Amino acid sequence: MTGLLLYARSRALPAALAALAGTAAFALWAAGRLDTYVDPDRRVPIVALAPLLAAAVIGTTLYTASDELDRTAVRPWWPRRLLQLAALTALAAALLPLAVLGHPEVFGPATVIRNVLGCTGLTAAAAVLLGARLSWLPVFGYVTAVYLGSSGARGRAATVWAWPMQPGAQPGAWAAALVAFSVGAALYAVRGARVEGPRG
Amino acid sequence: MSSIRVTGLRVRHRKTLALDSVDLALGTGVHGLLGPNGAGKTSLIRVLATVAQPSGGRVEIVGQDSTDQRGRAEIRRRLGYLPQEFGYYPGFTVREFVAYVAWLKELPGARVPAAVERAVARVGLADRIDAKIKTLSGGMVRRVGIAQAIVNDPSVLLLDEPTAGLDPEQRVEFRELLRELGASATVVVSTHLVEDVAAACTEVTLLDRGRIAYRGTPEALTALGAASHGPGDHPIERGYTAALRAHRAPRGTEAAR
Repeated sequence: MTGLLLYARSRALPAALAALAGTAAFALWAAGRLDTYVDPDRRVPIVALAPLLAAAVIGTTLYTASDELDRTAVRPWWPRRLLQLAALTALAAALLPLAVLGHPEVFGPATVIRNVLGCTGLTAAAAVLLGARLSWLPVFGYVTAVYLGSSGARGRAATVWAWPMQPGAQPGAWAAALVAFSVGAALYAVRGARVEGPRG
Repeated sequence: MSSIRVTGLRVRHRKTLALDSVDLALGTGVHGLLGPNGAGKTSLIRVLATVAQPSGGRVEIVGQDSTDQRGRAEIRRRLGYLPQEFGYYPGFTVREFVAYVAWLKELPGARVPAAVERAVARVGLADRIDAKIKTLSGGMVRRVGIAQAIVNDPSVLLLDEPTAGLDPEQRVEFRELLRELGASATVVVSTHLVEDVAAACTEVTLLDRGRIAYRGTPEALTALGAASHGPGDHPIERGYTAALRAHRAPRGTEAAR
Protein backbone atom coordinates (compact mmCIF):
# COMPACT_ATOMS: atom_id res chain seq x y z
CA MET A 1 0.00 0.00 0.00
CA THR A 2 1.49 3.33 -0.99
CA GLY A 3 2.13 6.14 1.43
CA LEU A 4 -0.29 8.44 -0.36
CA LEU A 5 -3.10 5.94 0.04
CA LEU A 6 -2.30 5.65 3.76
CA TYR A 7 -2.29 9.43 3.97
CA ALA A 8 -5.73 9.54 2.30
CA ARG A 9 -7.08 6.98 4.75
CA SER A 10 -5.52 8.75 7.73
CA ARG A 11 -7.55 11.86 6.78
CA ALA A 12 -10.72 9.78 6.22
CA LEU A 13 -10.79 10.90 2.58
CA PRO A 14 -12.70 7.84 1.27
CA ALA A 15 -15.52 8.49 3.75
CA ALA A 16 -15.44 12.21 2.93
CA LEU A 17 -15.75 11.52 -0.80
CA ALA A 18 -18.74 9.32 -0.15
CA ALA A 19 -20.27 11.99 2.11
CA LEU A 20 -19.76 14.68 -0.54
CA ALA A 21 -21.44 12.48 -3.14
CA GLY A 22 -24.27 11.88 -0.66
CA THR A 23 -24.62 15.62 -0.05
CA ALA A 24 -24.83 16.25 -3.79
CA ALA A 25 -27.46 13.52 -4.17
CA PHE A 26 -29.45 14.94 -1.27
CA ALA A 27 -29.32 18.44 -2.82
CA LEU A 28 -30.55 17.00 -6.12
CA TRP A 29 -33.39 15.21 -4.38
CA ALA A 30 -34.30 18.33 -2.36
CA ALA A 31 -34.33 20.46 -5.52
CA GLY A 32 -36.90 18.11 -7.03
CA ARG A 33 -39.03 18.12 -3.87
CA LEU A 34 -39.03 21.93 -3.69
CA ASP A 35 -40.06 22.32 -7.35
CA THR A 36 -37.22 24.77 -7.89
CA TYR A 37 -37.79 24.72 -11.66
CA VAL A 38 -40.97 26.75 -11.02
CA ASP A 39 -39.25 29.58 -9.18
CA PRO A 40 -35.43 29.99 -8.74
CA ASP A 41 -36.03 31.68 -5.37
CA ARG A 42 -37.10 28.29 -3.99
CA ARG A 43 -33.49 27.22 -4.39
CA VAL A 44 -32.37 29.42 -1.48
CA PRO A 45 -32.36 26.62 1.14
CA ILE A 46 -30.28 24.44 -1.20
CA VAL A 47 -27.72 27.08 -2.20
CA ALA A 48 -27.28 28.05 1.45
CA LEU A 49 -27.34 24.68 3.20
CA ALA A 50 -25.74 22.22 0.74
CA PRO A 51 -22.39 24.11 0.69
CA LEU A 52 -22.60 24.27 4.47
CA LEU A 53 -22.90 20.48 4.70
CA ALA A 54 -20.08 20.00 2.19
CA ALA A 55 -17.83 22.35 4.15
CA ALA A 56 -18.55 20.40 7.35
CA VAL A 57 -17.57 17.18 5.57
CA ILE A 58 -14.35 18.79 4.32
CA GLY A 59 -13.67 20.04 7.86
CA THR A 60 -13.64 16.49 9.21
CA THR A 61 -10.75 15.62 6.89
CA LEU A 62 -8.56 18.31 8.43
CA TYR A 63 -8.21 16.31 11.66
CA THR A 64 -4.83 14.77 12.40
CA ALA A 65 -4.61 12.04 15.04
CA SER A 66 -0.81 11.84 15.07
CA ASP A 67 0.07 15.52 14.94
CA GLU A 68 3.30 15.15 16.91
CA LEU A 69 4.63 12.45 14.58
CA ASP A 70 3.39 14.25 11.48
CA ARG A 71 5.55 17.20 12.47
CA THR A 72 8.63 15.06 11.97
CA ALA A 73 7.80 14.46 8.30
CA VAL A 74 10.72 15.11 5.99
CA ARG A 75 8.67 17.15 3.51
CA PRO A 76 6.91 20.38 4.45
CA TRP A 77 3.20 19.92 5.03
CA TRP A 78 1.79 23.03 3.39
CA PRO A 79 1.65 21.67 -0.21
CA ARG A 80 -0.21 18.52 0.91
CA ARG A 81 -2.63 20.47 3.06
CA LEU A 82 -3.34 22.98 0.30
CA LEU A 83 -3.79 20.26 -2.30
CA GLN A 84 -6.17 18.29 -0.08
CA LEU A 85 -8.31 21.35 0.72
CA ALA A 86 -8.33 22.60 -2.88
CA ALA A 87 -9.17 19.19 -4.33
CA LEU A 88 -12.09 18.57 -1.96
CA THR A 89 -13.39 22.12 -2.49
CA ALA A 90 -13.17 21.68 -6.26
CA LEU A 91 -15.05 18.39 -6.04
CA ALA A 92 -17.82 19.93 -3.93
CA ALA A 93 -17.96 22.90 -6.31
CA ALA A 94 -18.33 20.51 -9.25
CA LEU A 95 -20.97 18.22 -7.70
CA LEU A 96 -23.33 20.52 -5.80
CA PRO A 97 -24.28 22.87 -8.69
CA LEU A 98 -25.86 19.90 -10.48
CA ALA A 99 -28.88 20.40 -8.21
CA VAL A 100 -29.47 23.98 -9.34
CA LEU A 101 -28.59 24.14 -13.03
CA GLY A 102 -29.80 27.19 -14.97
CA HIS A 103 -30.66 30.72 -13.83
CA PRO A 104 -27.02 31.70 -13.21
CA GLU A 105 -27.93 35.35 -12.51
CA VAL A 106 -29.97 34.46 -9.39
CA PHE A 107 -29.62 31.28 -7.33
CA GLY A 108 -27.87 29.04 -9.80
CA PRO A 109 -24.57 27.14 -10.05
CA ALA A 110 -22.46 30.29 -9.51
CA THR A 111 -24.16 30.90 -6.16
CA VAL A 112 -23.43 27.37 -5.00
CA ILE A 113 -19.79 27.56 -6.10
CA ARG A 114 -19.36 30.88 -4.30
CA ASN A 115 -20.92 29.51 -1.14
CA VAL A 116 -18.78 26.37 -1.26
CA LEU A 117 -15.69 28.57 -1.42
CA GLY A 118 -16.84 30.86 1.41
CA CYS A 119 -18.04 28.09 3.72
CA THR A 120 -14.94 25.96 3.16
CA GLY A 121 -12.67 28.94 3.81
CA LEU A 122 -14.41 29.71 7.10
CA THR A 123 -14.30 26.03 8.07
CA ALA A 124 -10.56 25.81 7.35
CA ALA A 125 -9.90 28.94 9.42
CA ALA A 126 -11.99 27.50 12.26
CA ALA A 127 -9.99 24.26 12.10
CA VAL A 128 -6.83 26.27 12.68
CA LEU A 129 -8.30 28.26 15.55
CA LEU A 130 -10.59 25.70 17.24
CA GLY A 131 -9.54 22.30 15.90
CA ALA A 132 -10.99 20.22 13.09
CA ARG A 133 -13.70 18.55 15.18
CA LEU A 134 -15.43 21.87 15.86
CA SER A 135 -14.55 23.47 12.56
CA TRP A 136 -18.13 23.23 11.29
CA LEU A 137 -19.58 25.19 14.19
CA PRO A 138 -18.71 28.86 13.44
CA VAL A 139 -19.73 28.67 9.78
CA PHE A 140 -22.88 26.80 10.72
CA GLY A 141 -23.79 29.54 13.19
CA TYR A 142 -22.95 32.31 10.72
CA VAL A 143 -24.83 30.89 7.74
CA THR A 144 -27.83 30.00 9.91
CA ALA A 145 -27.93 33.52 11.34
CA VAL A 146 -27.67 35.07 7.87
CA TYR A 147 -30.30 32.66 6.52
CA LEU A 148 -32.76 33.58 9.25
CA GLY A 149 -31.93 37.27 9.63
CA SER A 150 -30.95 38.74 6.29
CA SER A 151 -34.27 38.75 4.45
CA GLY A 152 -34.87 42.46 5.08
CA ALA A 153 -31.25 43.54 4.76
CA ARG A 154 -30.51 46.02 1.97
CA GLY A 155 -27.54 48.09 0.87
CA ARG A 156 -23.96 47.49 -0.24
CA ALA A 157 -22.77 46.28 3.17
CA ALA A 158 -25.47 43.60 3.23
CA THR A 159 -24.18 42.17 -0.06
CA VAL A 160 -20.92 41.51 1.76
CA TRP A 161 -21.90 40.28 5.23
CA ALA A 162 -24.91 38.36 3.92
CA TRP A 163 -22.91 36.77 1.11
CA PRO A 164 -24.37 33.27 1.52
CA MET A 165 -27.84 34.60 0.64
CA GLN A 166 -26.94 36.84 -2.29
CA PRO A 167 -27.72 36.09 -5.94
CA GLY A 168 -24.87 34.66 -7.99
CA ALA A 169 -24.10 37.87 -9.90
CA GLN A 170 -23.45 39.96 -6.76
CA PRO A 171 -19.76 41.09 -6.82
CA GLY A 172 -19.64 42.03 -3.12
CA ALA A 173 -20.72 38.54 -2.10
CA TRP A 174 -18.13 36.95 -4.38
CA ALA A 175 -15.41 39.17 -2.93
CA ALA A 176 -16.37 38.18 0.63
CA ALA A 177 -16.43 34.45 -0.23
CA LEU A 178 -13.12 34.60 -2.10
CA VAL A 179 -11.44 36.44 0.78
CA ALA A 180 -12.83 33.86 3.24
CA PHE A 181 -11.49 30.99 1.12
CA SER A 182 -8.09 32.60 0.52
CA VAL A 183 -7.52 33.45 4.16
CA GLY A 184 -8.84 30.11 5.46
CA ALA A 185 -6.86 28.04 2.96
CA ALA A 186 -3.64 30.00 3.58
CA LEU A 187 -4.03 29.74 7.34
CA TYR A 188 -4.70 26.02 7.19
CA ALA A 189 -1.86 25.34 4.75
CA VAL A 190 0.66 27.13 6.92
CA ARG A 191 -0.50 26.16 10.42
CA GLY A 192 -2.56 23.00 10.03
CA ALA A 193 -5.50 22.19 12.28
CA ARG A 194 -5.17 22.98 15.95
CA VAL A 195 -4.04 20.04 18.07
CA GLU A 196 -6.93 18.50 19.98
CA GLY A 197 -6.98 16.40 23.12
CA PRO A 198 -3.78 14.97 24.54
CA ARG A 199 -0.74 15.84 22.49
CA GLY A 200 -0.27 13.07 20.03
CA MET B 1 31.84 12.05 17.47
CA SER B 2 28.64 13.54 18.90
CA SER B 3 25.41 13.03 16.95
CA ILE B 4 23.67 15.61 19.11
CA ARG B 5 25.31 18.89 20.02
CA VAL B 6 23.30 21.49 21.92
CA THR B 7 24.77 24.86 22.86
CA GLY B 8 23.15 27.51 25.05
CA LEU B 9 19.70 26.04 24.42
CA ARG B 10 16.81 28.04 25.74
CA VAL B 11 13.13 27.09 25.39
CA ARG B 12 10.33 29.31 26.56
CA HIS B 13 6.63 28.36 26.87
CA ARG B 14 4.78 31.67 27.13
CA LYS B 15 6.13 33.14 30.37
CA THR B 16 7.81 29.96 31.62
CA LEU B 17 11.43 29.20 30.86
CA ALA B 18 11.40 25.43 30.24
CA LEU B 19 15.12 25.13 29.39
CA ASP B 20 17.88 27.61 30.11
CA SER B 21 21.51 27.58 28.97
CA VAL B 22 21.60 23.86 28.24
CA ASP B 23 24.85 22.57 26.73
CA LEU B 24 24.90 18.93 25.77
CA ALA B 25 26.90 16.65 23.51
CA LEU B 26 25.67 13.08 23.03
CA GLY B 27 27.25 10.35 20.94
CA THR B 28 26.53 6.71 20.20
CA GLY B 29 25.03 4.92 23.17
CA VAL B 30 21.92 5.00 25.34
CA HIS B 31 21.48 8.26 27.24
CA GLY B 32 19.02 8.41 30.09
CA LEU B 33 17.26 11.70 30.67
CA LEU B 34 16.05 11.93 34.24
CA GLY B 35 14.39 14.66 36.25
CA PRO B 36 11.30 15.56 38.21
CA ASN B 37 8.04 16.60 36.53
CA GLY B 38 8.44 19.95 34.80
CA ALA B 39 12.23 19.67 34.69
CA GLY B 40 12.26 20.20 30.92
CA LYS B 41 12.79 16.62 29.69
CA THR B 42 9.93 16.65 27.19
CA SER B 43 10.83 20.18 26.07
CA LEU B 44 14.37 19.00 25.32
CA ILE B 45 13.17 15.88 23.49
CA ARG B 46 10.71 17.94 21.40
CA VAL B 47 13.41 20.41 20.39
CA LEU B 48 15.74 17.55 19.47
CA ALA B 49 12.90 15.98 17.48
CA THR B 50 12.53 19.30 15.55
CA VAL B 51 8.86 19.59 16.48
CA ALA B 52 9.45 22.58 18.78
CA GLN B 53 11.55 25.64 18.07
CA PRO B 54 14.14 26.80 20.59
CA SER B 55 13.95 30.41 21.80
CA GLY B 56 17.73 30.63 21.75
CA GLY B 57 20.91 28.65 21.32
CA ARG B 58 22.01 26.17 18.68
CA VAL B 59 20.96 22.58 18.06
CA GLU B 60 23.00 20.36 15.76
CA ILE B 61 21.93 16.83 15.05
CA VAL B 62 23.83 14.42 12.80
CA GLY B 63 25.97 17.41 11.86
CA GLN B 64 23.00 19.48 10.62
CA ASP B 65 21.68 22.74 12.03
CA SER B 66 18.06 22.18 13.07
CA THR B 67 17.05 25.76 12.19
CA ASP B 68 18.10 25.33 8.57
CA GLN B 69 15.31 23.94 6.38
CA ARG B 70 17.51 21.53 4.43
CA GLY B 71 19.33 20.52 7.56
CA ARG B 72 16.02 19.84 9.28
CA ALA B 73 14.89 17.57 6.43
CA GLU B 74 18.11 15.56 6.70
CA ILE B 75 17.74 15.33 10.48
CA ARG B 76 14.16 14.08 10.16
CA ARG B 77 15.17 11.46 7.63
CA ARG B 78 17.62 10.00 10.17
CA LEU B 79 15.55 10.54 13.30
CA GLY B 80 13.24 8.25 15.24
CA TYR B 81 10.84 9.78 17.73
CA LEU B 82 8.39 8.36 20.23
CA PRO B 83 6.37 11.15 21.89
CA GLN B 84 4.66 10.63 25.22
CA GLU B 85 1.34 10.37 23.37
CA PHE B 86 1.82 9.61 19.72
CA GLY B 87 -1.78 9.32 18.52
CA TYR B 88 -2.84 6.83 15.87
CA TYR B 89 -5.57 6.34 13.31
CA PRO B 90 -8.20 3.92 14.65
CA GLY B 91 -8.72 2.23 11.29
CA PHE B 92 -5.05 1.46 10.81
CA THR B 93 -3.43 -1.88 11.44
CA VAL B 94 0.02 -2.04 13.05
CA ARG B 95 1.56 -2.63 9.62
CA GLU B 96 -0.28 0.33 8.08
CA PHE B 97 0.60 2.74 10.86
CA VAL B 98 4.30 1.88 10.84
CA ALA B 99 4.27 2.09 7.01
CA TYR B 100 2.63 5.52 7.26
CA VAL B 101 5.50 6.77 9.44
CA ALA B 102 8.01 5.18 7.03
CA TRP B 103 6.34 7.24 4.31
CA LEU B 104 6.66 10.40 6.43
CA LYS B 105 10.38 9.59 6.74
CA GLU B 106 10.58 9.15 2.95
CA LEU B 107 11.90 5.63 3.15
CA PRO B 108 12.15 4.31 -0.45
CA GLY B 109 8.89 2.52 -1.28
CA ALA B 110 10.59 -0.78 -2.16
CA ARG B 111 12.22 -0.96 1.28
CA VAL B 112 9.10 -0.15 3.30
CA PRO B 113 7.45 -3.60 3.60
CA ALA B 114 10.63 -5.28 4.88
CA ALA B 115 11.51 -2.33 7.16
CA VAL B 116 8.01 -2.40 8.67
CA GLU B 117 8.09 -6.14 9.33
CA ARG B 118 11.56 -5.89 10.89
CA ALA B 119 10.61 -2.99 13.16
CA VAL B 120 7.43 -4.72 14.31
CA ALA B 121 9.29 -7.98 14.94
CA ARG B 122 11.91 -6.15 17.02
CA VAL B 123 9.23 -4.99 19.44
CA GLY B 124 7.72 -8.48 19.63
CA LEU B 125 4.50 -7.77 17.76
CA ALA B 126 5.09 -9.85 14.63
CA ASP B 127 2.03 -11.99 15.37
CA ARG B 128 -0.19 -8.87 15.66
CA ILE B 129 1.12 -6.99 12.65
CA ASP B 130 -2.22 -7.11 10.85
CA ALA B 131 -4.33 -6.35 13.92
CA LYS B 132 -6.07 -2.98 14.18
CA ILE B 133 -4.22 -0.80 16.69
CA LYS B 134 -7.46 0.00 18.50
CA THR B 135 -7.80 -3.69 19.42
CA LEU B 136 -4.39 -3.80 21.18
CA SER B 137 -3.66 -3.36 24.88
CA GLY B 138 -1.95 -0.20 26.18
CA GLY B 139 1.44 -1.92 26.40
CA MET B 140 1.13 -3.22 22.84
CA VAL B 141 0.18 0.24 21.56
CA ARG B 142 3.31 1.58 23.26
CA ARG B 143 5.35 -1.06 21.44
CA VAL B 144 3.75 0.02 18.15
CA GLY B 145 5.02 3.50 19.03
CA ILE B 146 8.53 2.12 19.49
CA ALA B 147 8.24 0.22 16.18
CA GLN B 148 7.35 3.37 14.24
CA ALA B 149 10.30 5.14 15.87
CA ILE B 150 12.82 2.55 14.64
CA VAL B 151 11.34 1.78 11.21
CA ASN B 152 13.94 3.95 9.44
CA ASP B 153 16.90 2.54 11.42
CA PRO B 154 17.52 5.99 12.88
CA SER B 155 20.93 7.44 13.70
CA VAL B 156 19.26 9.37 16.51
CA LEU B 157 16.40 7.85 18.46
CA LEU B 158 14.39 9.95 20.91
CA LEU B 159 12.05 8.12 23.28
CA ASP B 160 9.83 10.00 25.70
CA GLU B 161 8.62 7.71 28.50
CA PRO B 162 8.89 4.58 26.33
CA THR B 163 8.25 2.09 29.13
CA ALA B 164 5.00 3.66 30.37
CA GLY B 165 2.36 0.93 30.24
CA LEU B 166 4.80 -1.95 29.69
CA ASP B 167 4.69 -4.87 32.09
CA PRO B 168 7.94 -6.00 33.82
CA GLU B 169 8.73 -8.69 31.25
CA GLN B 170 8.17 -6.26 28.38
CA ARG B 171 10.38 -3.70 30.11
CA VAL B 172 13.21 -6.21 30.41
CA GLU B 173 12.85 -7.04 26.69
CA PHE B 174 12.72 -3.35 25.87
CA ARG B 175 15.96 -2.71 27.75
CA GLU B 176 17.60 -5.40 25.64
CA LEU B 177 16.33 -3.67 22.52
CA LEU B 178 17.68 -0.36 23.84
CA ARG B 179 21.13 -1.84 24.37
CA GLU B 180 21.04 -3.29 20.86
CA LEU B 181 19.98 0.04 19.32
CA GLY B 182 22.53 1.96 21.38
CA ALA B 183 25.37 -0.03 19.85
CA SER B 184 25.03 1.86 16.57
CA ALA B 185 22.79 4.87 17.25
CA THR B 186 22.46 7.76 19.68
CA VAL B 187 19.45 6.87 21.82
CA VAL B 188 17.96 9.38 24.24
CA VAL B 189 15.43 7.98 26.72
CA SER B 190 13.41 10.31 28.89
CA THR B 191 12.04 8.43 31.88
CA HIS B 192 11.00 8.59 35.50
CA LEU B 193 12.16 5.03 36.08
CA VAL B 194 15.73 5.18 37.35
CA GLU B 195 16.00 1.37 37.30
CA ASP B 196 15.60 1.49 33.48
CA VAL B 197 18.49 3.93 33.37
CA ALA B 198 20.63 1.76 35.63
CA ALA B 199 19.94 -1.31 33.51
CA ALA B 200 20.14 0.03 29.97
CA CYS B 201 21.87 3.41 29.77
CA THR B 202 25.51 4.22 29.18
CA GLU B 203 25.15 7.83 30.38
CA VAL B 204 22.74 9.81 32.50
CA THR B 205 21.72 13.45 32.25
CA LEU B 206 19.66 14.80 35.11
CA LEU B 207 17.58 17.89 34.44
CA ASP B 208 16.09 20.14 37.07
CA ARG B 209 14.13 23.36 36.50
CA GLY B 210 15.35 23.65 32.94
CA ARG B 211 19.05 23.19 33.68
CA ILE B 212 21.42 20.27 33.69
CA ALA B 213 21.84 19.18 37.29
CA TYR B 214 24.11 16.18 36.75
CA ARG B 215 25.91 14.29 33.99
CA GLY B 216 27.72 11.02 34.39
CA THR B 217 27.40 7.29 34.08
CA PRO B 218 24.73 5.22 35.86
CA GLU B 219 27.56 3.66 37.87
CA ALA B 220 28.74 7.09 39.05
CA LEU B 221 25.19 8.04 39.99
CA THR B 222 24.84 4.76 41.87
CA ALA B 223 28.12 5.41 43.66
CA LEU B 224 26.87 8.87 44.60
CA GLY B 225 23.83 7.19 46.13
CA ALA B 226 25.92 4.66 48.00
CA ALA B 227 27.85 7.49 49.61
CA SER B 228 24.76 9.47 50.59
CA HIS B 229 22.08 8.78 53.17
CA GLY B 230 19.22 10.34 51.26
CA PRO B 231 15.82 8.73 50.59
CA GLY B 232 15.49 5.88 48.10
CA ASP B 233 15.23 2.08 48.02
CA HIS B 234 18.03 1.57 45.54
CA PRO B 235 21.50 3.20 45.44
CA ILE B 236 20.73 4.82 42.05
CA GLU B 237 17.52 6.30 43.47
CA ARG B 238 19.55 7.71 46.36
CA GLY B 239 22.08 8.97 43.83
CA TYR B 240 19.29 10.66 41.86
CA THR B 241 18.04 12.40 45.00
CA ALA B 242 21.54 13.34 46.13
CA ALA B 243 22.42 14.83 42.74
CA LEU B 244 19.17 16.83 42.67
CA ARG B 245 19.71 18.17 46.20
CA ALA B 246 23.32 19.05 45.44
CA HIS B 247 22.17 21.00 42.38
CA ARG B 248 19.51 22.83 44.37
CA ALA B 249 21.77 23.59 47.32
CA PRO B 250 23.52 26.98 47.40
CA ARG B 251 26.88 26.80 45.61
CA GLY B 252 29.77 25.66 47.76
CA THR B 253 27.73 23.71 50.29
CA GLU B 254 27.77 20.41 48.45
CA ALA B 255 29.44 19.03 45.38
CA ALA B 256 27.71 16.30 43.46
CA ARG B 257 29.72 16.16 40.24
